[in-house]
Amino acid sequence: MSTTSAMQEQAWTAGARPDPRVRKAAIVWMVTLLTAFAAMVVLGITMRLAQGAAINLSPNTFYAVMTMHGLGMAGALFSAGIVVIWYLIAIRLRSSLAVMWVSYVLVLLGVIGLLVATLWGGFGAGWFALYPLPFVNPTWASWTIGTTIVSLMIMGVAWLAMQLEVLRAIASEYGLKRMFGWDYLGKETPAEPLPAGILIASVCATAGVLGTITGAATFMIYLFKWLVPATQFDALLLKNTMFMFGHTIVNVAMYCGLCAVYVLLPQYTRRPWKVNRLLVIAWNATLVFILFAYFHHLYMDFAQPEAIQILGQVASYGSALPATAVTIFGVGSQLYRSGIRWTLTPFSFLAAVTGWAIGGFAALLDATIAFNRVFHNTLWVPGHFHTYFLVGFVLIVFGFVHHILDSRAERMAGVGIATMLVGGYGFVLMFYLGGLHSVPRRFASYQMIPLPSVAEAGTRYALYGGLFASLFLVGAITLLLAGLVGRRRAATRAATPVPEASVGE
Amino acid sequence: MIQVVGYLALGAAIAIAAIAAFVWARARQAVPDGNAPVYRVRKYYAAALVVAMVGAFAWSLPLTPYDALASGPAVRVDVVGTMWSWKLKKDGDDSAGPLVLPVGTPIDFDVTSTDVTHAFGVYDEDGQLLGQTQAMPGYTNRLRLVFDEPGRFHVLCLEFCGVVHHLMLTEFTVR
Repeated sequence: MSTTSAMQEQAWTAGARPDPRVRKAAIVWMVTLLTAFAAMVVLGITMRLAQGAAINLSPNTFYAVMTMHGLGMAGALFSAGIVVIWYLIAIRLRSSLAVMWVSYVLVLLGVIGLLVATLWGGFGAGWFALYPLPFVNPTWASWTIGTTIVSLMIMGVAWLAMQLEVLRAIASEYGLKRMFGWDYLGKETPAEPLPAGILIASVCATAGVLGTITGAATFMIYLFKWLVPATQFDALLLKNTMFMFGHTIVNVAMYCGLCAVYVLLPQYTRRPWKVNRLLVIAWNATLVFILFAYFHHLYMDFAQPEAIQILGQVASYGSALPATAVTIFGVGSQLYRSGIRWTLTPFSFLAAVTGWAIGGFAALLDATIAFNRVFHNTLWVPGHFHTYFLVGFVLIVFGFVHHILDSRAERMAGVGIATMLVGGYGFVLMFYLGGLHSVPRRFASYQMIPLPSVAEAGTRYALYGGLFASLFLVGAITLLLAGLVGRRRAATRAATPVPEASVGE
Repeated sequence: MIQVVGYLALGAAIAIAAIAAFVWARARQAVPDGNAPVYRVRKYYAAALVVAMVGAFAWSLPLTPYDALASGPAVRVDVVGTMWSWKLKKDGDDSAGPLVLPVGTPIDFDVTSTDVTHAFGVYDEDGQLLGQTQAMPGYTNRLRLVFDEPGRFHVLCLEFCGVVHHLMLTEFTVR
């Protein structure tokens, strides 16, 4: 046996098992979040069918639903991302279960608050609630504003606690220099290899903490404004902070999902995914790019300094290099001629990085200032982010859930993911076609637009999109049920080998 | 330009899906160190991506809409967004009639808002979005457009601004 093969064999047989309490907490979190996700998909379908003139919604109701859909989706997916990295590091590192359970309760409280404020109270300022929209001439009651802000702050506390716990657990074992792989930047390769999952979890949690803190500061200002209405703040500054928060956390969610791919895919391919200097540089660059890419949301704010606008394009373009040349090629090298036996989890990972790449390319086009001029706030925008979420990150989450459930209902899962892919791609295609017809986003109805081509395209593609989204939902429910029906309890599961180069030592 | 983006996205999506299908099909083969070709391809991919990004930068930066900030002579139009209507007034024109702008002349729209953030999006009669900028309280954004053809042009609010956002519309004429 060659040295490489011997190392791989050693890595393969090393084995690692999570504490059953960790597994239980992760399953409860994930089933809850996927249920919330399905509920938010129902809200999304409702919006598209209303835009497609298939059902009637008053504008007040439509925008309240839109607000809940955006907040609920971003919250559920970001929470899912954090839980993924927490579970992965908790396999080997000592991590607090209490933090996860307390955070679970806090997130639930926050979600209940948001549901009450939006669907009952009618708060409809959009997920991003651009300052000063929530406070000016509102058609929603004052208490809904306060409830929304406080609910988001409660969720923010939970997110911050979980991410800081991840960072604490990693830092206490690896130290600051090693957790980010900086010891790989010297002349000699470190004697103790750094697991890829540790590096990526460190990057994700760091970016997530910075985004969450920015959001916390923003919502504290909003709370102050709510309590003292005469106070005035700068709209452009708060737009920057809101997108620094919102854009960062949804990006971090995707990268948390990639952490699962780095850690779990080697278990199926039996090829370790080793950290090297290139990987360290790529993920440290990703950390920087995540924090500056949000500027592309403000391209159409011409008052923003031009240098910052160009920096936004640089950061957006720059993020494509590590993402594709390192991570996506890494997935390719994991799978290519590996002799893998395809099951739901590795297939969902391959499908997810495919969706991430397709959505990412569409995002890059929109992040080009010259194109953004005619795509900003059209349906192109929800087209690209729904692509890398619905047929990207969400597929990773499902693959992760099937992995920790150790599900064996492969046939049912296959039907589920195939239905999701058909429904998901059909759904996002309708957004892209709408964007190509200059159809604006966030319109309760397109029928009053005095431009027949825009009104007709907006209505038609919304209806088709709603139907495709319904198909996607059927697939998602099937896939979730497949995981639950086919799960094996911890006591009956065979040992699951884990390559050491991928997970904690 | 919009069609170019559509074709680029479609081409990229097909290429990415084809590569994924190729990897999926070849993954069942078990070859020791069989992934070496992937690393060989990566070098060329990374180099091609860098070249493509630099090229895209060089091509796209002159097309940013910010040059109007240091511009030459143009007809100036004050645009004020207020929940949920637009007021458009040509500089030096105090008449109360519909706004009429000259064809083939640079028009500078100085866009602001009195309350919340809106977005000033200009569409031609065929429903194509020609350009946009945000209308933000406390700031004035200048959008420069040149209308090569006469016709009726429509303004839609492109930033969500409350329950009547989708009805925040107006129009002007170019001749």
